[in-house]
Amino acid sequence: MSTAASTLQPIFAVPFGSARLAQPDRLNLALSAGLSPLATDAQRDPALPADPLCFRSREELFEWQGEPLSYLKREMLAAMCSIVMRANSVTEEQFNALGLQARARFVIVRPNGALPATSLPLASWCVIYCVAAPDLSPERVDSAAVRLYGHRLGGMFLDAANWAMREPFHYGHHLWRPVPGEMAVFPAWLPHEVALNRGDRDLLLVIARVRFANPGAEVEMMPPW
Amino acid sequence: MVTQPTMIRLSSGFAVPFGETWLTDHQRLNRELEALFLSRETSEYRNPTPSHAPQEETFESRFNLFKWPEACVRELRLFMLGGVADTVMQAVNISAEELGKLTMHNHTWFHITRYAGSFVAHNHPLASWSAVYCVRAGERVPEHPGSGTLRFFDSRTGADSFADPTIPRLKAPYALRPRDLRLEAGQLVVFPSYVFHEVAPFYGRDTRITVATNCWFAEKHN
Repeated sequence: MSTAASTLQPIFAVPFGSARLAQPDRLNLALSAGLSPLATDAQRDPALPADPLCFRSREELFEWQGEPLSYLKREMLAAMCSIVMRANSVTEEQFNALGLQARARFVIVRPNGALPATSLPLASWCVIYCVAAPDLSPERVDSAAVRLYGHRLGGMFLDAANWAMREPFHYGHHLWRPVPGEMAVFPAWLPHEVALNRGDRDLLLVIARVRFANPGAEVEMMPPW
Repeated sequence: MVTQPTMIRLSSGFAVPFGETWLTDHQRLNRELEALFLSRETSEYRNPTPSHAPQEETFESRFNLFKWPEACVRELRLFMLGGVADTVMQAVNISAEELGKLTMHNHTWFHITRYAGSFVAHNHPLASWSAVYCVRAGERVPEHPGSGTLRFFDSRTGADSFADPTIPRLKAPYALRPRDLRLEAGQLVVFPSYVFHEVAPFYGRDTRITVATNCWFAEKHN
């Protein structure tokens, strides 16, 4: 082995954060009871293909008034901001001065359904909150998991010294398993999907895309979305 | 603002070559292939070292299909590898004579997909050209128009994260979106192995059967 002092660090890293609400059970029960009956044609996003096994609502959930959605919105955005701030080189004071816009929808992935791969345009961050999830299946490790795509093409040449690189260097996708009360935060450009739900219960997610504006550069001046 | 008409010449930069062709009169060959593959949907023929989490709904064979001696396999080999070679000839600055001096290697296997089977997005390291041939498309399901779609992902990941009214309306071949192919029996598609692709969940009540090959060329050694 070399005696030279060396360092190893990731470059070009993709930020990924997760958070868990303190006591999410009552909130999730109320959200499930309120949202599940709204998975109707009237609430479905007409811009997206209809899928009997994957319902995607209009992207206006955060404009709805009342509890428990207002509470969920506050908690999702607060957790996201905490993570995003840590990924940026700004002070807390500077970050708190930013303007913020968020749009959200709820998604229900039924048994044998999947959410096709997508990324979220005109936003910088995506946050996904899990309201309800099917039981874990040891045999089907990716069942109903959010799969974040690793699309680096440098992995086209593999040999014995790069095919088994460990996190965060390895080539391949990243799985985040939705657990009720937990949320994931990652860049909105990152393609992601929900792998086929092999369980016998629905997966209910709230997915938001978020963008920020510097003080003085009003968020209203940003491109319409 | 200048009103003089411009003489812009539009061309495609950073293009990805896709080859497509169809086998005419494929019915007999596909019948024979289907019968052979179904008879060998067994542990003996299953890929023992899958690169992705295997699914019970999708059978993946060993990668030595084109070493099988059966006449129908040899016939398919000729068609598929010929399609790859034709694509290479059109996309690469190489003469037929130069190509003929290279050895063409392949890993080839078949998939049998049943209800709710899919295959995760992936590409094929250590290969240059990949191809998929459709033996049986499987039942079309009107409420699931994407059922069993072979979906190719745009290699310009993130390029559409800013979208004004023009970007989402880019025409082919400039459009920033996945390219979906609902394969038909007898259809062959050839593409660079670096392109990420997946099979969307299949919701037919029957089977979807495809053959895939990864190819690479090497100098012949005497």
